[in-house]
Amino acid sequence: MTLREMWRRVQYLRHRDEYADELREEMQLHVELRARKMRGQAVAGAEFAARRQFGNPTLLAEASAGAWGWGAWERLAQDLRHCFRALRKTPAFTIVAVVTLALGLGINSAVFSVVNAVMLRGLPYPDPARLVQFWGLFLNPPPGFVSPEARFGGPARTNNLSAPAFVEFQRGASNFLDLAAFTRSPHNLTGIGKPAQVWGESVTTGFFSLLGANAAQGRVFLSEDERAGAGPVAILSYAFWQRRLGGDAAVLERSIVLDGQPYRVIGVLPPDFQSPGQIAEADSSEYFLARPYQDSDLKNYGSRFLIVLGRLKPGVSLLRAQAEIDAIGARLEGYSGSKRGFRTMVAPLQDDLVRHVGRSLFALLGASALIVLITCGNVANLLLVRAIARHHETSVRFALGASRFRVVRQFLMESLVVAFTGSVVGLSLGDVLLRLLIAIAPAEIPRIHSVSMDWRVFVVSAALATLTGILFGLAPAWRASRTRPAASLRSTKQPGGDPNQARWRSGLTIAEVALSMMLLVGAGLLIKSFVRLAGVDLGFQPGHVLAMSVNLPDASYRTPEKRLQFFQELEQRTRNLPGVQSVAFANRMPLRGGWSTGVTLVRPADEIYVGTDGQAVSPGYFATVGIVLLRGRLITEADGIEQERVAVVNQEFARKYLKDIDPIGREVYWNKQTPLKIVGVVNDIRRAGKDAPIRTELYVSAAQADLYPVRLGDFAIRTTGDPRLLKSAIQAQVWAIDPDQPVTSVKTFDQIIDDDLSGRWFDTLLLVIFAGVAVGIAVIGVFGVLQYSVSQRTPEFGIRIALGAQRSGIHALVFRQAGRLILAGVAIGLAGAFVMTRFLESMLFEVPRHDLWTYIAAAALLAAVSATAAAVPARRGASVDPIVALRYE
Amino acid sequence: MLILKTLARGAEMHGFQIAESIQAISEEVLQVEEGSLYPALQRMLVKGWITGEWGKTDENRRARYYRLTKDGRKHLEQELERYSRVAKAIARILQPA
Repeated sequence: MTLREMWRRVQYLRHRDEYADELREEMQLHVELRARKMRGQAVAGAEFAARRQFGNPTLLAEASAGAWGWGAWERLAQDLRHCFRALRKTPAFTIVAVVTLALGLGINSAVFSVVNAVMLRGLPYPDPARLVQFWGLFLNPPPGFVSPEARFGGPARTNNLSAPAFVEFQRGASNFLDLAAFTRSPHNLTGIGKPAQVWGESVTTGFFSLLGANAAQGRVFLSEDERAGAGPVAILSYAFWQRRLGGDAAVLERSIVLDGQPYRVIGVLPPDFQSPGQIAEADSSEYFLARPYQDSDLKNYGSRFLIVLGRLKPGVSLLRAQAEIDAIGARLEGYSGSKRGFRTMVAPLQDDLVRHVGRSLFALLGASALIVLITCGNVANLLLVRAIARHHETSVRFALGASRFRVVRQFLMESLVVAFTGSVVGLSLGDVLLRLLIAIAPAEIPRIHSVSMDWRVFVVSAALATLTGILFGLAPAWRASRTRPAASLRSTKQPGGDPNQARWRSGLTIAEVALSMMLLVGAGLLIKSFVRLAGVDLGFQPGHVLAMSVNLPDASYRTPEKRLQFFQELEQRTRNLPGVQSVAFANRMPLRGGWSTGVTLVRPADEIYVGTDGQAVSPGYFATVGIVLLRGRLITEADGIEQERVAVVNQEFARKYLKDIDPIGREVYWNKQTPLKIVGVVNDIRRAGKDAPIRTELYVSAAQADLYPVRLGDFAIRTTGDPRLLKSAIQAQVWAIDPDQPVTSVKTFDQIIDDDLSGRWFDTLLLVIFAGVAVGIAVIGVFGVLQYSVSQRTPEFGIRIALGAQRSGIHALVFRQAGRLILAGVAIGLAGAFVMTRFLESMLFEVPRHDLWTYIAAAALLAAVSATAAAVPARRGASVDPIVALRYE
Repeated sequence: MLILKTLARGAEMHGFQIAESIQAISEEVLQVEEGSLYPALQRMLVKGWITGEWGKTDENRRARYYRLTKDGRKHLEQELERYSRVAKAIARILQPA
């Protein structure tokens, strides 16, 4: 085909109607001229003869148009027009199908995008599969052990290793390209704006090369930076450089002051760099310092504070690496002389980062997959019904000479148009949902803010839905294409579809009901958990309390006494502020972490080593937090450094360790020199939050500062009014004592509790929405099938009524059919829920996953809703006018 | 080929004239539906062998006059040559030896 020929074809396409008119005129002239000539020859019926000799002008016109080579396209466009007309004529079908698809696809792609970004997409480092983290496993954990990760109880493991262990592993591990260690902690930043507490990491020099990161400006650490004589240097995050230094071009000539110590800036990291330590955290790491440990740490095997990462050599399996680590570990065990077994494990870094959220995200993913299944089921059902309802039309088209290809293509096109529209609407819905999801998601989900719509996800689910549509749209069309049109045309009756198809429809409806039943049970269990949790009594009075952290840097507050002094002065200064009822300081306030320890308890018959929470508290602590004295006395101002060492325990401590023994007067000690006498018993609290168990508590006097190794850091006030109003007044008092001292994590107890619940709220809300959508779709399914079946059976109902059947009987007939579908669906769904809620178990709070009442309530709800959906077709069936109905035949 | 040949002989013709001309030459041996002339004409328009120009008949009616193009003449020559080759071959076969 030459270019010019192509041009002529395109010209034709642009002026199609003109061409057709011209051709018609030409042919008209031809026939007229022929007729005139025939008349001249006296042919009888000249005009008719001329026309007969000319042939069928319509066919000729079509053939002429066909010469331009656009025929196939025109037929396609024709089919498309027909398809849109057909869809417009059945708005109910179109809307339901499109909305169902859009909901299913939108929800699924939004949720999957989150899961994918958080868990499936690799870590933002080159070759992330070879990155591992080191774990310490306590083989014989002390009683009451609390690991830092699993907040309560949980596996006795820690992600912290000691400095000598790290050095040994780094020296001995030949299966690793390198090992790196880091610690993450906040420092007080001064000299740039107001003093602020900023998080940063101290890393070994190989840290950045291990992660495959390089500096955007300047350089990363070299091994010289770690040498003893080297001046302190820092690498800044891109955010630090931009926000705190205003993108200063001369950043590499500046220094920053952290805890009073200046650090020379040697590099700035690229904007997208995220260290593993900050990924699951709210505060990002803004600077990196060299040397995470001191030389003095290298002798202490028991002090574990380093997080250790490693990069495996290519081709090295985790098992081989573990074997090597075990060998080195066995040697270490000898040095440390520890009596409790400690085993170092390596695990993929990815596993660690998502462990908090993995469970709940997988549950949500499962739920959204169920939604897609329901969606597909519903669309299949709708198309099936539609195809059967159009059996007659298909027959007519065949009778008029349509090719099988055209008819099948027609159905195919309708399925595709529905699928396409549904996908487009679903895509925009998914985008909105995703934004909503990110907005309401708890901050603890790592990388949540970098989540964007994942195209692959959307394409896959859209393809799935389309395929379903095609399959179920085509099967009936194909079948119809093989029926003889004559048979179908002879009867005006609505064809019933064969029993096979009826079975399919029922099966699909039952499946929809069953799937939504499972989601409903899941949602019910979560709601119940949430209600339970919200109603938990903390044991103290969280209202009207504002807590904050005042982390005093070592540089200016080297000793416990100095820190105590600072807090005592702050207490003095704030105690009499207007609106303040009481003030308190401690190492940590409830809900804000704490100290787990172990003490030796002296009982009349023996001495036992017991694990317990330990808190160093000021005398005002109990009144401020709202803890009640049950026996003995509280810690008072008099319990100073010169006096007898005292402790207060909670009921749980007394119950667990001092059964049938009067706790007052008992002694506990960390070391023999300073035994503490128990002087009082207070009530139990859930220190770590509503979903935390009650734990044993040991309170010591903060003033007896030689007793405890933890640092005083938290300050709290109880007020008569809104405690947040006093925030700046307290800040001012802190600065009056030390102008370089920042106050951080200022939050009311109520805020902390709300934040704690928000994660559960997120999961619960999502599952409830999912369940709602699922039930909605399933109800549409039930309604559709019944409505269709009623319209099929209209003549039958007519006859029944004509023969004297009661309308209520017809009503019951339809309901029986509905009942069978619903009951089957509910039963299967309950069985499914019984199995599937296993994946929900970790998200439940004090609700067994087979909670009977939840199952009953969910089943009743679903049955009631679907029965309501059945009422409309039932009424329609019962109100059939026998005369009209019989006229159908 | 017939149409091209017809057009090659005369200058410009409209559809009816072409039909008449073919009938006259073939002495009414070729009897087809006259209308099939038009799809053929369209096909040749696409190929660019002929062009159509609207003009007036003797009786002052609008009609499209077709004319052979250079491409069309070339194509006709090729076709004629091919045809004569085939015809000669057939003639040789049919000639008594």
